[in-house]
Amino acid sequence: MHYENNDADSAFGFDGNWQDFAKIALPNLLLTIVTLGIYRFWATTRERKYLWAHTRFVDERLEWTGKGMELFIGFVLVMLLFFLPFSLIGMVSEALVARGQALWAVLLTAGSFFFILYLTGVAQFRALRYRMSRTRWRGIRGGSNDQGFKFGWSYLWKTIVGQLPMGLLVPWSMTSLWNERWNKMSFGPYHFDADAQSGDIFGRYLLFYLAPILLFVAMAIAAVTGGGIGFGLGGEAGTGVGVGLGIAIALFVWFFALGLIAAAFYAKYFREVVGSARWKDLRFGFEASTADWIKLYLGDFVLVVLTLGIGFIFLSYRHWKFFIVHMQADGNILLDELTQSTTRTAKHGEGLLDAFDMGAI
Amino acid sequence: MAKDCSTPSTWGRSDMSEPAFQSFAQWYDGHTAIKHEGEAIWDGGGLLRLRGASGSLEVPFADLEFGEERLGETVYRRASEPDFRLILPADLPPGLASKLPERQTYGAWVDKLGLGKATAIFAAVSVAAVALFMTAPEWLGPRIPQSWERNLGDAMVGDFGNRLCHTRDGDRALTKLLAKVDPEQEKVRAGVANIGMVNAVALPGGQVLLFDGLVQDAESPEELAGVLGHEVGHVRERHVMTALLRQFGLTILLSGANTTVGDTMFGLAAMGYSRDAEREADEYSRERMAESRISPLGAARFFERLGGDDEGLTGWVSSHPGPAERAKAYRAAARGKTFEPVLTAAEFQALKDMCQQDPDVESFDLFF
Repeated sequence: MHYENNDADSAFGFDGNWQDFAKIALPNLLLTIVTLGIYRFWATTRERKYLWAHTRFVDERLEWTGKGMELFIGFVLVMLLFFLPFSLIGMVSEALVARGQALWAVLLTAGSFFFILYLTGVAQFRALRYRMSRTRWRGIRGGSNDQGFKFGWSYLWKTIVGQLPMGLLVPWSMTSLWNERWNKMSFGPYHFDADAQSGDIFGRYLLFYLAPILLFVAMAIAAVTGGGIGFGLGGEAGTGVGVGLGIAIALFVWFFALGLIAAAFYAKYFREVVGSARWKDLRFGFEASTADWIKLYLGDFVLVVLTLGIGFIFLSYRHWKFFIVHMQADGNILLDELTQSTTRTAKHGEGLLDAFDMGAI
Repeated sequence: MAKDCSTPSTWGRSDMSEPAFQSFAQWYDGHTAIKHEGEAIWDGGGLLRLRGASGSLEVPFADLEFGEERLGETVYRRASEPDFRLILPADLPPGLASKLPERQTYGAWVDKLGLGKATAIFAAVSVAAVALFMTAPEWLGPRIPQSWERNLGDAMVGDFGNRLCHTRDGDRALTKLLAKVDPEQEKVRAGVANIGMVNAVALPGGQVLLFDGLVQDAESPEELAGVLGHEVGHVRERHVMTALLRQFGLTILLSGANTTVGDTMFGLAAMGYSRDAEREADEYSRERMAESRISPLGAARFFERLGGDDEGLTGWVSSHPGPAERAKAYRAAARGKTFEPVLTAAEFQALKDMCQQDPDVESFDLFF
């Protein structure tokens, strides 16, 4: 089967609608509340089943085969294996402080910080692996034979090194970790290949360093003009009020500008990393512009505020739709050669990731 | 594994070709991505026969499981072949539909009960669980052996190293004071902590600390007896264990909802005794003072001072009943009785000098 990408007919398509999604999300919310949150694992699974089933890749829909029980077991495992020991460590370090062993307490706390960073990396890897292994397309699934424990070390040191030279290596750590985890993933018999380059996103990243300068200039201008207007309106007393008001407005504008810079960076980042991914003879692309990202997040904000918070149940729907609508692919898929994945699958879900509350991709 | 037949098998019965028992079908074998298209026909027995240009196979109905519903289609799986997929139109002929497994929506339990009933049952169980968690500390706390609490307390806070003030005369005065408000054979462990705040605490493991700030603030040894008696009351009435259990229960309960919210709530609800517990501790203190013929007027004056000057005292007062109300109760307890001084002037002074004259006491900067 040959697939040429053109605007009229994208390789990826989404045909869900929010009314149908609401019929899933609202009972989910109800059941989650009355079970004190325990139903949320089954709720997540039902939402994903809907989203996957309404996502078309070339000529067939995706299918989510994960189960609520898997996510629940993953959560319980994380609670037993990590949170229990961590609360014990917390108690031990308090006990050490009480005994005057402050140095040991500090070492213990630092040690658990690094361990959490390591686990964050493992969690990110395993969540991606879980999602690949629970996704079916034409009866075929993905996965990875890697358990992600090595990726945890890469995540630990690359995150720290990325921050060291005034954060200048953050783009490098982001792209190189992306490549590392996607190169370990496969779908059917074929591996993914990713070779995202940090150089391409570095320019956008430098915008973050402009932000403090921007803030200073904006504050100065706002304070001076605010002060001037204030003086005109209310003399000496008015000047102070005017300067304060000007600075407040400048701060507001600055946060907005920071959001814009983040949107510009992430738009470029996702175009780069998805665009660098290949799967056998298929190339991927992601077309969302900075403006698209801003519209997405402004939409989220308005939706949640106007519905007094209830709208948050639609965020997973909006984000998935955004992701699919902007995904592109072109190349060849030989269906005869596309055989079932032989990767091992984990029996439990994304417990760690769920506990750290992160996204998988 | 499903058996692939290359030649179409002969049809044994006439009713199988009736439209009520057959339908258009698509399937994937779970081994390759190739889609098979053809017809699904009930064979009259327990088998569903799939016939297509690229091959045929027979699937026992008992092996089929409901997978999911999607736009105009229903997907079935096989128990024996996890990646096999059979896709049938949603509007199946009734004869065939009745043979296929039922659809699932919310998961097994909720589907069996129905959404309304399941919601009611879950809500009732949750309310009961919350009620149990809220009340469990009250009845469980007093039933936990004191020795366990002592071990737990030792593990949690230890003996404070060298941060408690000690002098020979001061220790002697504190022992005398404690003996009068704690009649038990095995006394609580009391100490004066080198902290300037006007405060006193009862800690896990039967440890009671008077802060040096409070000792300096006291105008008579009777005031200290009142406060010490109150804290001993918290230990003896098992309020400390109850509070610990409540804190522990909250951590578990909130971990189910969301870990970050859990952390925030954890901080807010941590420790602290109820107003009833405070009243109980006050009553305990008054009873011991009456037994030892100590005047409760000192404690009354202490609370009157607290009421007049809120600054710096909120830590000890905030969770307690109003100081005026408490002062009144202590005054009432004094009516029509005669008392003996609890400590001599020299002993009281020794308590006040304890932290200043202890040559090697350390400060509490990290802990409080």
